[in-house]
Amino acid sequence: MEVQEKILTNVKMPFCPGCGHGISTRSISEALEQLGYKRKDVSIVSDIGCSGLVDPLFDTHSIHGLHGRSPALGVGVSLGNELPNKKTIVIQGDGGATIGLQHILEAARRNVDMTLVIFNNMLFGMTGGQMSGLSTNQFKDYKQSADEADPYDVIQLAHTAGAAYARRVNHIANFTDALKEAIATRGFSVVELASLCTSYSMKKVSEYQEYIVEEEKFINDRPVGHSPVRSTKPLIENMKGLDTLFGNNLEGRIGVLIAGSAGGGVQSAAQQLAQAGILAGLHSTMKGEYPITVGTGFSVAEVILSKEPINYTGLEKADVALIITDDGYKKVKNILSDKTQVLIDEKVEMETNFTKKGFTKAGGKKGAALSALAYWLNESNVFSPDALLKVVENHKYATELSEAISSYKNV
Amino acid sequence: MNTKKVLIDASRIITEALVQSGADIFIGYPITPSNLFYSYGKQRFPQFMAGPDEISVLQWMSGFSASGKLPVTATAFPGLALMTETLNMAYMMELPMVLVITQRLGPSTGSATTGAQGDLKFVDGVISGGLPLPVFSPSNFNDAWTLAHEAVKTAINFRTPVILLTSKELVMTQKSFDVSTLEPLQKVDRTPKPYEKPYQTYKAGEDKVPTFLPLFNEMEQVRFNSSTHNNMGLIGKNDAESLGNTWRLREKLETRIDEFTFYEYDAQENAKHLIVSWGISADAARDAVAQLRNSGEKASLLVAKTLLPVPPKIYEIIDAYDKVTFAEENMTGMYKELLYGKHQNKHINVATKFGTMLSPSEIVEKVKEFIE
Repeated sequence: MEVQEKILTNVKMPFCPGCGHGISTRSISEALEQLGYKRKDVSIVSDIGCSGLVDPLFDTHSIHGLHGRSPALGVGVSLGNELPNKKTIVIQGDGGATIGLQHILEAARRNVDMTLVIFNNMLFGMTGGQMSGLSTNQFKDYKQSADEADPYDVIQLAHTAGAAYARRVNHIANFTDALKEAIATRGFSVVELASLCTSYSMKKVSEYQEYIVEEEKFINDRPVGHSPVRSTKPLIENMKGLDTLFGNNLEGRIGVLIAGSAGGGVQSAAQQLAQAGILAGLHSTMKGEYPITVGTGFSVAEVILSKEPINYTGLEKADVALIITDDGYKKVKNILSDKTQVLIDEKVEMETNFTKKGFTKAGGKKGAALSALAYWLNESNVFSPDALLKVVENHKYATELSEAISSYKNV
Repeated sequence: MNTKKVLIDASRIITEALVQSGADIFIGYPITPSNLFYSYGKQRFPQFMAGPDEISVLQWMSGFSASGKLPVTATAFPGLALMTETLNMAYMMELPMVLVITQRLGPSTGSATTGAQGDLKFVDGVISGGLPLPVFSPSNFNDAWTLAHEAVKTAINFRTPVILLTSKELVMTQKSFDVSTLEPLQKVDRTPKPYEKPYQTYKAGEDKVPTFLPLFNEMEQVRFNSSTHNNMGLIGKNDAESLGNTWRLREKLETRIDEFTFYEYDAQENAKHLIVSWGISADAARDAVAQLRNSGEKASLLVAKTLLPVPPKIYEIIDAYDKVTFAEENMTGMYKELLYGKHQNKHINVATKFGTMLSPSEIVEKVKEFIE
């Protein structure tokens, strides 16, 4: 039979005389020892406050974090290991449970394999005995605190969020057994222990019992949460190279602005122009601009094509502007210069002196941008619209996109 | 060598470089303009987790890091602001991790889809007490590849969080690029260094970096601690050993900064004028220098890539010039202020832009104004 390892060190308890945290700490140790855990099988994750003084008491691994965040830190510790027969124990007070309530709910929702032990003394012991979100109204009356908001029932909340085991224990005699049940549970378990603060509340446990919430216990039979490791494919190695297949007649650099509306294929058309430029032996850049609500309003894209490598990717002036919709025109009309060649769709209703073209009529609402690009390529002779056709030939909508590109002949 | 030209963005390049360098898990909370990192991270990292908020993200990362994994996240200023307390925790615990920060126009939520270089001074002061945090800033796609690797290497070798400070225009703009120029990267070696017995989590040797062992290891007891702590990793109340540990956090980075000093220096013989830039504005500065030289002006270029702590080499280069123009996309010239404060120095001027990219012609104009 293996020798049972002592979980606690010989360090003297740092708590005030009569403080409940001492017995709570010893109960955790007893539960671990009785379940057969060895020192290095356990990582204690501690919080801030009086409960955060526990690290030197445990002769285990330990990690001492921030106020209220220890359940989130524990999630990372537990999922980062996932070794069999190891246990992550998180200890925090009621103040920590209040500020970090979201972290408890998240650990419960994911049912991460760890045990959270809340030392609930219903107050902030390190900062002068202020009330926490777990302080009962009776206790607040006793403390003459004006706040009348009902306390959180953190056990009920954790259960509702999906904790495998959630239990409140008020009687010291039951601490160790409850903790043993919790620690033995696979998944997220939380135990709230009533812990008297002798410095800022009454002196007797029996008196304290009158002010606390009744015991409760809940079980959820749910799968345990994991963070699986998978094999993935390289992001760059699998990209298809764009070899030079077409000639070009560009001298220097040209900036193309495409201005339309969300859902009109502006961004993908601009990307395809930039790719076609590479097929034509040019350097290219593409950037898009659209409102945060991506499904509505303007959609504008800038493409730079250049004989020389491109460093600066800004478009100081647009050499060409292809305007498909009123949304697009409204967005770019102030940045068009006298030197900008503007091709504008006949559907644009805003007043303009530019000659209008039937891009939407030829290419349809979704194909107008591509139709306009192909029209401009053909007119300008920068490179052949066939380069655009080559870009889309293996696209899942190759037929529709090719039709849109070829529609420039009908503009 | 066969070339392979593609249309690509730096988010993809950085993500791939991080994974090839040995990063294990991407933990993220979506935010513009770091969204591409989130989607590439989900696709490429061996592990991926979607955090419910940025505080949880960095806490989870700290747990994974303490367990021996190398975690990565990507966010923007609003997310970094929420992460700040935990970033200090991870720094104090000496937990390796990489944070990609994509700058966007602030203050506050500002304009999420507009680029900027406005978070430099925030990351300079992000660690309470003024302690240095390594901050690298890629200025183009090749930097994106190499600095992502160096970020992982520095995080592991120096046991520290590292920030990769990018901006919207760098990580979202697609550009033609020959990806065959990207050399395959090796995983950074994580074999624990030999250590003096008895093991203590924060006992460092001459290199100032303690040997990292993860939680739950069977060899030695490990104690990580966010509060001021002794070599054991237990809270120390201002004793010499504990204060020495905090002091060491500064020393380990500042005394060995040559190991992670990255910059680009294009010196022109007899030039008296230097243009200094970083991040997204560096490409405009490169074009500006070319324009100046074409017009017969002599000018040199310095692109800073290790922004923090400031490497002495940066001052050494700048000090050799009579006139220096800083080029950056923010309201005040933050890098200039980082190096020289707010005092108007007659040897220095700044070309800045707010709300749009700084252009080469605007830099040239500032330089000529200065020369005249």
